[in-house]
Amino acid sequence: MTEGMAIEFKGAVKHRRRHSIGPIDLKIPQGYIIALVGSNGSGKSTMLSMMMRTIKPDRGEIHWYGESFSGELPLELRQSIGYVPEGPIAEENGMTADAIAKFRAHWCPSWDEARFNGLIEQFHVPRNERLNRMSKGERRKLEISTVLAARPRLMLLDEPSSGLDPFAWGDMIDELQAYMENEDVTIILSTHIVDEVKRLADYIVLVDEGRVLGMVEKDSLYGTWKELWVQGALEGLSQVKEVVKCEPDGPHLMRIIVRDNAQWNQYLTATGMQIMKSHSLELEEILRLWIKGYEPEELLV
Amino acid sequence: MWIPIQIDDQSAEPLYYQIETQLKSLIVSGQIEEGTLLPSIRELAASLSCSVITIRRVYQDLENEGLLRTKQGTGTFVAKVGTGERDEYRRTVVQTAVETAVDTGISVQYGEEELKQLFLKILKQKYDKKSGRDRE
Repeated sequence: MTEGMAIEFKGAVKHRRRHSIGPIDLKIPQGYIIALVGSNGSGKSTMLSMMMRTIKPDRGEIHWYGESFSGELPLELRQSIGYVPEGPIAEENGMTADAIAKFRAHWCPSWDEARFNGLIEQFHVPRNERLNRMSKGERRKLEISTVLAARPRLMLLDEPSSGLDPFAWGDMIDELQAYMENEDVTIILSTHIVDEVKRLADYIVLVDEGRVLGMVEKDSLYGTWKELWVQGALEGLSQVKEVVKCEPDGPHLMRIIVRDNAQWNQYLTATGMQIMKSHSLELEEILRLWIKGYEPEELLV
Repeated sequence: MWIPIQIDDQSAEPLYYQIETQLKSLIVSGQIEEGTLLPSIRELAASLSCSVITIRRVYQDLENEGLLRTKQGTGTFVAKVGTGERDEYRRTVVQTAVETAVDTGISVQYGEEELKQLFLKILKQKYDKKSGRDRE
């Protein structure tokens, strides 16, 4: 990757009450959509908060566009970051969409009022309702609209789709894609929804128990694992390094999960085993294997 | 612009290769005409649910082969396809189809001579029918 880095974690550590995060080393290139994937409590939200500087690491550094800052982020940089936090912001409970817009317009020089109005209309967000009276989905749509209308250079989205109905979800995906036409923009989002990763991500970062297990180019994952039903030379099959799961499925049939690489194909040719049925693993299954320790071969970090 | 590319999840071929061969055949066969503005890298990536890295690679490869050209700030266009390339493409398509047919023959233990006779018979039938149609 020769592009500039939007964010770089250098040995960043944060001690939290229940568990610690890090040390995290991660480079996030500018101009891409990066999905942070991992189970609940894995540390994705803390990472996003660190990128937003609402949490400072206890050790290590974070760089924004190649620069690190000892105190607060400079105003100009903060204005160029759009953040959708995991949960609603309590201070905004009594405000209406219009009041929020007025506030943001005042604070953010790149605020695009027409864009905001368009999005609010498209997402059917009520303008004059107080935020704590809105449904969870309406409030989420408002938050996403507000971030898009501020035309940020970096978007940090913490589970942006939680509470959205499938139609609003589709619209959100389209809006984010369209906004990425601006090649300067970087989106980092955490998500549990594999479909969201499929539709949006260029890179996937897998986070587990406060650690970054690695970053991959999404498309390099496809076709890396296969589920096969094989017949023939089954002896010793479970000992093969590429085979991670091996169970009988009928009298002479074995169902296996296998890494589909050159070594495996050599083994296959050498033993003359017969493949009765073959199926490429889906992204979800590939990610689940990765969490269990079977990491992709084309890992970037 | 919508481009009829179809990705096969179960194919052993990598994603970039599937997209590249299909886009290439659309261009070389003339189904996408010279001068056509292709979707942006992000747009095509979004419509195929793949990453921009993959599409960038495809556009770059086809640009290197002279099939596409990029104008700074305007986008990626389909370049002029030479007759040499078009002929080469036609030959490759037919050759692949014939190879598949021969492989099928071998797999059901057809002998060389037997296969040749069958091929010539079909050839005659098809072209007789075609010239019949052409005369009408």
